[in-house]
Amino acid sequence: MKGKCYIQGMAAISPQPTFEGDIFQAPLVHTDSNLLACIEPDYKPFIPGNSLRRMTRTLKMGLTAALKCIQDSGISSPGPIITGTGKGSLQDTEKFIKEIVEYKETALNPTPFIQSTYNSVNGLIALQQKCTAYNNTFVHRGFSFENALLDSIMMIQEGASHTLTGAFEEITQEHFYIKSRIGCWKSAPVNSQDVYQQLSPGTIAGEGATFFTLTDAATPQSYAAISGFRMLYKPSEEKLATTLRNFSQSADLVICGRNGDSNHEHYYEVMDACFPGVPQLPFKHLCGEYDTAGAFGLWLGAWILKAQQLPASWFPMQEQLTAPVHSILFYNHFFGEQHVMLQLERV
Amino acid sequence: MAERVFITGVGMITAIGDDVAGNLHSLRSQRSGLGYTEYIDTIYRQVLPVAEVKHPSESLFALAGVPVKEGYTRTTLLGLIAMQEALRDAGIEDVQSAPTGFINASTVGGMCDTEKVYFDIIDPEKTGTFLQYIDTLDCADCTQRIADIVGFSEHIATISTACSSSANALMFGARMIRQGMLPRMVCGGTEALTRFTLNGFNSLKNVDKQFCRPFDQQRTGLNLGEGAAYLVLESESFAKANNSRILAELSGYCNTNEAFHPTSPSPDGDGAYEAMKTALAMSGHSLEQVEYINVHGTATLNNDVSEGKALERLFGDKVPLFSSTKPFTGHTLAAAGAIEAIYSILAIRHGLIFPNLNFSEKMEELSVTPVTQLLEGYPVNNVISNSFGFGGNNASLVISKYEG
Repeated sequence: MKGKCYIQGMAAISPQPTFEGDIFQAPLVHTDSNLLACIEPDYKPFIPGNSLRRMTRTLKMGLTAALKCIQDSGISSPGPIITGTGKGSLQDTEKFIKEIVEYKETALNPTPFIQSTYNSVNGLIALQQKCTAYNNTFVHRGFSFENALLDSIMMIQEGASHTLTGAFEEITQEHFYIKSRIGCWKSAPVNSQDVYQQLSPGTIAGEGATFFTLTDAATPQSYAAISGFRMLYKPSEEKLATTLRNFSQSADLVICGRNGDSNHEHYYEVMDACFPGVPQLPFKHLCGEYDTAGAFGLWLGAWILKAQQLPASWFPMQEQLTAPVHSILFYNHFFGEQHVMLQLERV
Repeated sequence: MAERVFITGVGMITAIGDDVAGNLHSLRSQRSGLGYTEYIDTIYRQVLPVAEVKHPSESLFALAGVPVKEGYTRTTLLGLIAMQEALRDAGIEDVQSAPTGFINASTVGGMCDTEKVYFDIIDPEKTGTFLQYIDTLDCADCTQRIADIVGFSEHIATISTACSSSANALMFGARMIRQGMLPRMVCGGTEALTRFTLNGFNSLKNVDKQFCRPFDQQRTGLNLGEGAAYLVLESESFAKANNSRILAELSGYCNTNEAFHPTSPSPDGDGAYEAMKTALAMSGHSLEQVEYINVHGTATLNNDVSEGKALERLFGDKVPLFSSTKPFTGHTLAAAGAIEAIYSILAIRHGLIFPNLNFSEKMEELSVTPVTQLLEGYPVNNVISNSFGFGGNNASLVISKYEG
């Protein structure tokens, strides 16, 4: 990628207490249900009660994370709004499929249909903020958030001063079951904090809504700079290794999407071999696996670069940072198909 | 200075033809694709007209040149047929011959097939080959299956912004070219009819029981359609070095959000006005240089008022010839932007203005009316193609004649 962009504001709703308070003092939330569900915030300060009643989870989480991010950035107009979601509002999709059958295709309530539309969160943010700028939604599994990020970086290259860039995903019990039928999740319950030790087929499910305000210039408030970015679709191990080696030579911390899934662990082993001796932080024990988990990983990396410390309870396996972190290599893939690498730098 | 973006290949399948030539023939003979569904299991089978591709999915495998296999949805097959034509048309035997990206668009992914097996998928008592459709629940499935068969390994993405999805796919691809990221992109969308979508629009009370009547005073709604279309985009320098045959130029585009209502456009067409105005400014052409507008023209009560007002605001008393081709193809949602972009190219290359079928009475809110007769031998240099969607997502493209 050409040039850099900067993270000026951000917000995350996740299975950890990330929405409010000091994440460096936050406890580690874990589960043995193989499904890490979000801690939902109080939405009332963000969304009027009459709107709130009609909205389903994904819409509430997405809109609220976006609004909190705008607050955090201190930039009042969001500018271009660009998001990624692999599955959109599953709850609405499931509801509408069932109501079609239940009510025999008559007298259907259109709300679940409207809310199941993948761009409904984007539309809501624009409506709420009266923002008529560019607006786009990407829906491509482990490339959903990443294409939104690419689009945002291009917007900034084309002259936008900032963008609102985010991702949102939910996991429903029904969808968790559906994905279990094709082996996405571990067959036996695993404590989420031990997921890396339990190497076996499948991983643990998760969800989250994460938003960023990206800017063309650094400010004293900037969390981090994004200075490198690559996406690889179904690469061979050789291509992955070559690309990783050429991508970053200066990382003093690696943040990776490792998730205890033995089917696809070998890609992370390729990464290990490319960065020997560099401390590594995996993040899927915090958020679980989902299409747009990469956005959560980016959020974590940006915090570490800004605060120069680790959330201690989240990484009991890792000693505190002994040297300043100037550059982070981020690597994640989604079930072996969509591979993403980012270079993050301290501002 | 960013490079110009040229269109060097097109491919499509719709209710009015299995390829571009078939579509052109139907447009010229003013033959609509609207009728009643053969393939969707719905109580509205004989009630709500749709524009369905006239082949069962089994026959689409043969057209797509792939063996019959579980897991290939109608969405994927329609897309594959259009993709192969687009690559052939651009003279691309192997997409790996130059770095080539693929930007696809879809509104409900493989819903056409998953809705038929969904209750089996969620029933622990049932098992079978239907489990191979689990992955087809999302929008990326069709993109990746097409990419894997054709051999795309550079950038891939799927966009979903409701009815403006494939217009945004074209825009995203053009921007990647202008940024110098890749020299060649294939962009468009694919959409198969589903019971889900038919009931969705019907629950919003904007499906017409008659054949749709865009810009007509008596219009009561849209008819859904299905199809797929892809356009090969190349940077000017690549197209010249590659000696590509240039069909037209994608000279302008704009994506804007109306921020007015989740499903309705503003009565004065603010979003449509802004999208057309900004796209045209980017193209460097003046209002007078636009000979034809392929309007979004869904025939819903709100769209046509809003879009018509926007035309009058932008062009004053000199609104160019305009028509909606949705009475031919139905509203093909994610595929509409790409299908209509190809129709815009056909208008330029063949000197045609397509008629807006089923129009008889001027709308009381507007002073303009659409073209109702096929015009041949009409010089067309610049076309605006509009796609407006739910969530306030508005997109306009400007397609211009390539002068060499």
